[in-house]
Amino acid sequence: MSDDILIQNEASNDMTVAARDLVKRFGQLKVLDGLTICIPRGTTYCLLGPNGSGKTTFIRSIVGLIRLDGGEMEVLGRPISRVREIISRIGYMTQHKALYPDLTLQENMEFYASLYGIKGARRRARIDELLEMVDLEDHRRRLAGDLSGGMYQRLSLACTLIHDPDLLLLDEPTVGVDPRLRRTFWEYFESLTDGGATILITTHLMDEAEKCRIVGYMKAGRLEAEGSPVAIKRLAGLRPSIRLWVDDSKATADLLASSGFEVIESGDALDVFLDSFNDARTVLDLARPRDLKLVEPTLEEAFLRLSDIGRGG
Amino acid sequence: MISIFEGLDASLDRILAVALRVIRQLKRDRRTVGLITFIPIFLMVLFGYALSGDMSGICLGLVDEGGQEGLRGHIEGVDDFEILHLGSASDAEQLIEEGRLNGAIVLGPGQVVVMLDGSSPQIATSLINLVRAGLEGPMPLDLRYIYGYDLEMMDSVGPAVLGLVVFFFTFIVSAVSFLRERTQGSLEKFVASPLSRPEMVLGYLLGFSVFTVIQSVTTLVVVVFVFGVPMYGSPITALAVVLLLGAAALVMGAFFSNFAKTEFQVVQFIPLVILPQVVLTGVWWPLQSIPESIRPVSSILPLTYSSEALRAVMLKGASLCEIMPDIFALSLFFAIGFLAATLALKREVG
Repeated sequence: MSDDILIQNEASNDMTVAARDLVKRFGQLKVLDGLTICIPRGTTYCLLGPNGSGKTTFIRSIVGLIRLDGGEMEVLGRPISRVREIISRIGYMTQHKALYPDLTLQENMEFYASLYGIKGARRRARIDELLEMVDLEDHRRRLAGDLSGGMYQRLSLACTLIHDPDLLLLDEPTVGVDPRLRRTFWEYFESLTDGGATILITTHLMDEAEKCRIVGYMKAGRLEAEGSPVAIKRLAGLRPSIRLWVDDSKATADLLASSGFEVIESGDALDVFLDSFNDARTVLDLARPRDLKLVEPTLEEAFLRLSDIGRGG
Repeated sequence: MISIFEGLDASLDRILAVALRVIRQLKRDRRTVGLITFIPIFLMVLFGYALSGDMSGICLGLVDEGGQEGLRGHIEGVDDFEILHLGSASDAEQLIEEGRLNGAIVLGPGQVVVMLDGSSPQIATSLINLVRAGLEGPMPLDLRYIYGYDLEMMDSVGPAVLGLVVFFFTFIVSAVSFLRERTQGSLEKFVASPLSRPEMVLGYLLGFSVFTVIQSVTTLVVVVFVFGVPMYGSPITALAVVLLLGAAALVMGAFFSNFAKTEFQVVQFIPLVILPQVVLTGVWWPLQSIPESIRPVSSILPLTYSSEALRAVMLKGASLCEIMPDIFALSLFFAIGFLAATLALKREVG
């Protein structure tokens, strides 16, 4: 699927989560207001949105922690009313760490492994593998309460992955984790999706959202926009551009404008907006710049732009 | 059929996983383990000999064989006792054995026999004082303890304190533990795992029971060997009562934890849940000494039944069958608490 095409919201057998018209009220407040969303199998799907937009409520409803007031949802092929039947195929990492500070790292992992019926050699191997992945293998005998915030977060992720789930729900999983290890996490996530697992993640880190195949932008309990990171930027009205440094700014600007390009003078340079980077060759042939710089808008800009649209900005 | 067994097997595995985790956690919390083990001794030394109370509603048998009109008038004139006139001393003895009388006085020419229920020293003392106050001249009293033992206050208090200590600590530790599950997010994670709510509560029960056994045995040993409280019945039966009470305390703690947001708020349950049981369940003084208007409250407090059962087992040698009403009452507390705790956990789902 092309990055520039918005992904259609159609339920099919390839959907790990297919939700339609979800409604959840807390008193007068409608936290989910007709949310329709589909998460394809083997995808990393990132939910973005301002605080209170309903991201965590949606994730909690997938595991049955929230009783919905309306709508339909299927998770791993089961209606939400029967989610307990497939609960062992879901891994859920909450914003709280859900660890026992008075148990060692190994004991924490053994406990969660036992809940999923993982025993003996398989359990040992799985714990070794995951502790290595989160770079905590040297600390396995330490009490979890003695760990730093980032280490605690890594252990929480390892416990969530212990049973090799088909659907991984990660609510802000990399808070406090250093950039090097975050890269390791994402490599691991990619290996999981390559193996057919589906990951639904919420994050406030835009560079992480850029790594996801699909980004869904939620606002006021609805899905406002959905697509690849590039498609979301386009939806927010953001386009890539080339900053050019030329000898005759005025003449070059006129030439480019007459060829249909949007040009803005920016100090001693020209910013030329492109529909896609494929247009770059044409611009360079016309302008013949002394120097240039390609500029791709960030997802953060798109996020802020979409938020501003909602506020009438 | 195989899948049912597999399901049960998996369920048992999960219960054991929770139990093992609870044991590991408590084992590492040395201060709590120390407190559980040594606080009974401290409590008994502190309170054991210090309490007494005014009594009312005591059932007293009166056998009048003549010759003590003055004393008879004095006894009948005291409002605190319900007098039952009986034909013979043997009738009185039988009714005391059946627990229908708290004591009896046999008035005869030249002699006064006071029959006492040995398991309630405070009542016994008040009866002796009653008779002595009414005697018109020096006359030796023939005191007969129906259970053949002149009990001291500690003998009566010890068995009940055993239950109180177990209830107090299990309730508090359970409430704090379940509160932590909620605040640290593990409860939410459990809901998203194969662990069911009843499995979680049962796992806790199993894990805690290890410490309840240690606590009960320690307290029992101190009560019997240090303070010399008799153990006429089976220690295993006494232990069974304590374990059942501990189970009820655990599920009640789990239930009440729903109403606390912090550990400080859990401490606030002490005056609400624990203190009424200290005062109203006959741990320190007999139920008869409590004003009748608030006595119905005693019947809805589990310690009332554990105190009664433990005294019956330890001081009267009662068997499991003989304390079955108390066992049934404690089981009912457990069942209601279990249901309430499980439903309250379910209520977490928004």
